[in-house]
Formats: sequence, C-alpha cells, structure tokens
Amino acid sequence: MGRKLLLEKAHVEGIRYYDVYRREGGYRSVEKALKSMTPDEVTEEVKKSGLRGRGGAGFPTGMKWSFLAKPEGVPRYLVVNADESEPGTFKDRYLMEFIPHILIEGIITSSYALGANSAYIYIRGEYAWIPDILEQAIAEAKNNGWLGKNILGTGYNLEVYVQRGGGAYICGEETALIESLEGKRGNPRIKPPFPAVKGLWDCPTVVNNVETIAAVVPIINNGGDDYAKIGVGRSTGTKLMSACGNINKPGVYEIDMTISVEEFIFSDEYCGGIANGKRLKACIPGGSSVPILPANLLLKTAKGEQRMMHYEGLSDGGFATGSMMGSGGFIVLDEDQCIVKHTYTLARFYRHESCGQCSPCREGTGWMEKILWRLENGQGKLSDIDLLVDIQSKIEGNTICPLGDAAAWPVAAAIRHFRDEFEWHVNNPKECLQRNYGLAHYADPIHVPTPA
Amino acid sequence: MPIITVYINGQKILTESGVTILEVCKANNIPMLTLCHLKGLHDIGACRLCLVEIEGVNRLLSGCTTQVADNMIIRTDTDRIKRYQRITVELFFAERNHVCAVCVANGNCELQQAGYAVGLDHIRYPFLYPECNVDTSHPWFVMDHNRCIMCTRCVRVCTQVEGAGNWGVMNRGHDVRIISDFNTPWGESITCTDCGKCVHACPTGAIWPKAVAQGQLTKYPEMIGELVEKRKLLQ
Ligand SMILES: Cc1cc2nc3c(=O)[nH]c(=O)nc-3n(C[C@H](O)[C@H](O)[C@H](O)COP(=O)(O)O)c2cc1C
Ligand code: SF4
Ligand code: SF4
Ligand code: SF4
Ligand code: FES
Repeated sequence: MGRKLLLEKAHVEGIRYYDVYRREGGYRSVEKALKSMTPDEVTEEVKKSGLRGRGGAGFPTGMKWSFLAKPEGVPRYLVVNADESEPGTFKDRYLMEFIPHILIEGIITSSYALGANSAYIYIRGEYAWIPDILEQAIAEAKNNGWLGKNILGTGYNLEVYVQRGGGAYICGEETALIESLEGKRGNPRIKPPFPAVKGLWDCPTVVNNVETIAAVVPIINNGGDDYAKIGVGRSTGTKLMSACGNINKPGVYEIDMTISVEEFIFSDEYCGGIANGKRLKACIPGGSSVPILPANLLLKTAKGEQRMMHYEGLSDGGFATGSMMGSGGFIVLDEDQCIVKHTYTLARFYRHESCGQCSPCREGTGWMEKILWRLENGQGKLSDIDLLVDIQSKIEGNTICPLGDAAAWPVAAAIRHFRDEFEWHVNNPKECLQRNYGLAHYADPIHVPTPA
Repeated sequence: MPIITVYINGQKILTESGVTILEVCKANNIPMLTLCHLKGLHDIGACRLCLVEIEGVNRLLSGCTTQVADNMIIRTDTDRIKRYQRITVELFFAERNHVCAVCVANGNCELQQAGYAVGLDHIRYPFLYPECNVDTSHPWFVMDHNRCIMCTRCVRVCTQVEGAGNWGVMNRGHDVRIISDFNTPWGESITCTDCGKCVHACPTGAIWPKAVAQGQLTKYPEMIGELVEKRKLLQ
C-alpha cells in the first residue's frame, strides 16, 4: 500500500465541509507558512520537494515560482488551471469535488509564497456543479478567517475567485487560459514573453494545475525533504492517476510512483485487470496527447526492464519506444479495440479543439481527421499512411502552442507501433468495417538482443 | 539601441537590437515569405511561413515575432524550412475554395505569390471544399469566405488602426470564420465606418471593392504601415 497524501482523507464523511476538514488537520500548512515562514522559505520548501507540474509538462514547480518577475508596485497573480479537458484525465475533478478545501488551502499557501493578493481558479465550463462547491468552500474559509484581509493577523490579504471556462480544450493552455480569463477569445499567445513576466493583464502570473497546488499542502506540512523521499529519482511525491477504458476498476488512484505499470493495471488495489477476461492490447498512459504504446512496450521497456509508473519510467525509450506521464490520464485498450478507429477519434477531437489561429495546426488537424476517416471506413490508400506521417511531422514543432504537437504525436505513435493494422484496413476495406484486427503480435514478448 | 551582430545564412549583419528577424531580413534584402505579417499591425505569428532556424533552438521559430539577439546564428533557407513552407502553402490552397481563374485578385495575390515562391506545381492533398458564403451586403465591399486564409489582418487593422472592431473570429479548428459584428451581414454592421482599410490589408481576394472583376484588383497594403508612421508624427 503506497503512501497517500492528497486522497488520504478523501473518504472521511463530510470532508467537503470546513468543520470536518479542519478537524482532520486542515489549514495547518497556512498557519505554518504565514506565521513561521517567509514567502521565500515556502518557495524553498517546494523546490526541495522536487514537485513537478501535474498539468502535463512536468516542469519543476519551485523553479517556475522562482522565475516569477517581481517588479515594484505591480500586482502578481496565481491562476489555478482547473480546465482539465484532456480526454482520459479526470483527477482534478475528483479532488475539487470531494476535498475542495485542500485546493483552497494550497492556494493560500502558494499565493503567500508568490506574493499574490488575488488568485483565480479557472474551471472547465462543463464541470457545471463544481464552481458551487468551490465557492462554498471559499466562503467557509473566508468566514473562518483564512481568506480576505489581514489573514491570521499577519497583514497578508488574499481573495480567491472562481471563473467558469470558455468551453474549449485550448483554454487549458496557460496563455489561452489567461486570454480567456481576460474575457477574450482563448487563443494562445506567442511565448516569450512567458506568463511569469507578462501574464494576466500583463502582470507577472503563475499558472499551476489543481493537483500541483494541492500538493503544496503536504509539502509545507511535512517538509520538502519528506515529500522528496517518496517516489524515485526526479519523480518525487505522489501522483493522481485517472484510469479508464477496458479495466475492471476505473477511477482516480493516488500512486507513490514506485510501482510498475503491470502492477497498476493488474493489481486489485488499482485497475484490477482487464475487464471481461480480455487481454491487454495497448494503452495511452498519460492522457490523449501522449504516444500510445502496445502492450509489450507498455509493460517492458525496449531494454527488457519492467516499465515503472513515474515520469522517467513512462518516457523511457523516448518517443521511439516510450511515452509520457502527461497529465495522468491512463486509458487502457483491450484486444477488441481498433487502433485506427481510436486514432480517428482522437484526431477528430484535436480538429475540433484547434483554436484555428496558426495554419499548420488548423489545416493539418482537419486533414489528419479526413484521411483517418477514410482509412477507418475502408476508403483509404496505402499512400495515405505516409501522407499522414508527412502531415503530422509538419505540424509538430511549427505551431504557436503545443496543441499542434499534441495532435501530431498520437497519430505518429499509432502508425509507428500499429502500421500493420493501418495497412490491414487498406487491404481489407470490407472486412475492416465488420471486425477488428485484434491483438496481432502487439502483446508478444519483445525481443531483447543479447550482447555477444 | 545598442548595435549587435547576427549571422543570417552565413552573412554577417550589424543591426540594432530590439528588432525582429523579419525586419533585419527586409533591411538586408534577404527574402522571407510572409502572409499574416503586415507592417503597422501587431504580429501574431500565425501563418508560420516566415520560418527561421536558430542555432541551438530545436523548434522552428517565426521570424516576424522573434527578436534578434547578439551573435544569433539564423538560417532562412534550409531544406527543412522549405519542406514546412511548401506543405503549409499546399494546405492553404486545399483548405478553402481557391479558383484563381475567376478571382479578382488573380495576379495580385499574396497567397499566389507564396505558391510561386515555394515552387508549387500541384497539390498532393484532396481539397476539402468547405461550404463558404459570400457576403455582398455591404454597399461597396464584398467578403468572400472562399478565399480567406484566416491571417486576421482584417481583424487587426480594423481593431488596431481604424479602432472600429467590426471584424472578429468565430468557431474553432478549420471551421473558423471571420465575422462582422456578432456574425451578422457586413452591410448591417453598426461598427464598420466604411473606411476600406480591411480591403487593402487583405492579402487575398477575400475582401474586395465591388466595382472590380477577375484579375483587376489592385491593393495597397503598405498604406497601413505608412498611415501608422504618419500618425506617430502627429503625436
Ligand atoms: C492544449 C493544451 C491544453 C492544456 N490543458 C490543461 C489542463 O486542462 N489543465 C492543466 O492543468 N494544464 C493544461 N495544460 C498545460 C498548461 O499549459 C500548463 O502547462 C499547466 O497548467 C502548468 O501547470 P503545472 O506546472 O502545475 O503543470 C494544457 C496545455 C495545452 C498545450
Ligand atoms: S497550435 Fe493549434 S491550438 Fe495552438 S495556437 Fe496554433 S492553431 Fe491554435
Ligand atoms: S471598412 Fe474599415 S471599419 Fe469597416 S470593417 Fe473594414 S477596416 Fe473595419
Ligand atoms: S478576409 Fe483577408 S485579411 Fe481577413 S483573415 Fe481572411 S484573408 Fe486575412
Ligand atoms: S508572417 Fe510570420 S507567422 Fe505569418
């Protein structure tokens, strides 16, 4: 049983409400930080903890905080990214819905470290019922003196606002989020300047994921060193994984990044194995934007070692034979799933969600969707497969924001690992409408060359 | 501004700092393909044609939004850049319904010129043929969405130079469309001042004055930059 930090108290009756949360030890980190630490000391603890952004990119949070520009007389902002629109990712929702106070507590401590007097929670518009939960938590915190003016008599002021999202995946990209928060169309901005210098209303801003901010609470409570002890190497602390797809127990799990992928999928503590007695075909381990892996490469790395559930483990082998931790959306596909159809579904999503600003992404995502539709429906040509590779490679690395890359990678990975399945679709245009290609050799043990 | 040294395609160039790579290229007669850039408007780096490779940077950057730095080693003519440009221009043509033979801008169109510049001879991608309407409601001007490349020069000139804010963008992905006010006919706009700046700013035959026919359109996009410079003199 791994250590739990965020979901430890998630099942305590009434934890959503202030009284219970406080009784269970809530808001201690605020007391500790505001009364006995300077803002820089809080940042220092976060640095020591090795916490990495949980929103997808995995950038060290302490370092991000220390980049924040601090010109005199200019306000600074903390923006919490609760847009969570990545297909397969639903961990932030769980946190906000069941233990909203841990987020509010994290926001107070983090804002104090950053010297921000206003913080925003930008929440996905489709999470229609959660703003009420958050607003109630904010009101409770305020009534008990944790928010507002002169918090705990320390002279520190903070207000937290909840903003409903504009209803687009792209509004989760930090600069698009800022534009949307300012009331504009959510088009990503050109970087640099980075938000740390010019963010919300052109003021220095830190954008962090919900889980990242919540993790600040145990870090301050137990110390950065204690947090850094959990996990392996540069993957410190615990990570929420939202598991879904063809598994027996879909849900949100907190892992301490010491377990293997195999254990995560098959142990009863987590996903509980593949549903309906089927076999594992493939998996997207970190939300729809990261490369898909066939079963054999998922469970073992190309070197033949067990693949571990942490940042380095999942990306072992680079894009050729690895994937990414991403935002922790773990999507499992069993032997009955069609990779071409699945890739088409993702391509359709990215076409729909591209903001349409830069031409390679706007045009390319439309194209990929169209060609994948043809392949899926038995109207494709063999040359289409290379055309797809060609288009995706010209989107990747030539766009304003990473959505272009995120749209290209799943297609590239699907063709890289499942090319025979695409070819089967072309060569069997009728059959592919009736049945799936199945497991083929994707679960075979990988051949590891033995050194002479 | 301090003077710095940059190297573009192997050529050593002295330039002021604080300017973009595109500006340096223009000043030194180094060709650079652009579509969304128009002097006088804020650059957004959207068309991704003005690509540059900078030593030590993995991604391709847009020259119109990247500022020069001392000792920057820049290339604008690599094969990689040419491949990217070609595919982007091809997809521009395949994205909407460009029939140059009947277009008012034929022979005087920046998209066509980009096609020549990348050596386009045919388009490898089947055309998408989206349904696009033509708005003829304005008394003098026409907006033909079939020819729009979403460079948003019209949007920016109307907001940033004319200050009217008639044009906007709706939808996402390749469903994006330029809209007048809140997606109402241009002729019914309550913000448009009929100034005609968007007509000149538009790089293609998407916005044009009513009295012209095939191939007759002449535009004067430099006017926007000149106007902005003249206004500075007045300040
Ligand atoms: C298209 C796109 C969508 C994104 N959506 C989200 C999101 O829904 N939630 C999130 O936390 N980060 C999202 N991100 C990542 C953010 O841009 C940003 O990196 C993150 O909020 C930083 O927080 P972190 O350092 O705590 O991870 C998205 C990025 C891109 C490019
Ligand atoms: S990459 Fe796509 S989503 Fe990102 S700015 Fe460009 S068009 Fe918009
Ligand atoms: S004519 Fe002038 S005011 Fe009217 S839309 Fe064009 S730029 Fe804007
Ligand atoms: S109408 Fe013309 S200026 Fe406006 S976005 Fe389209 S091509 Fe560009
Ligand atoms: S001119 Fe630079 S991106 Fe369009």
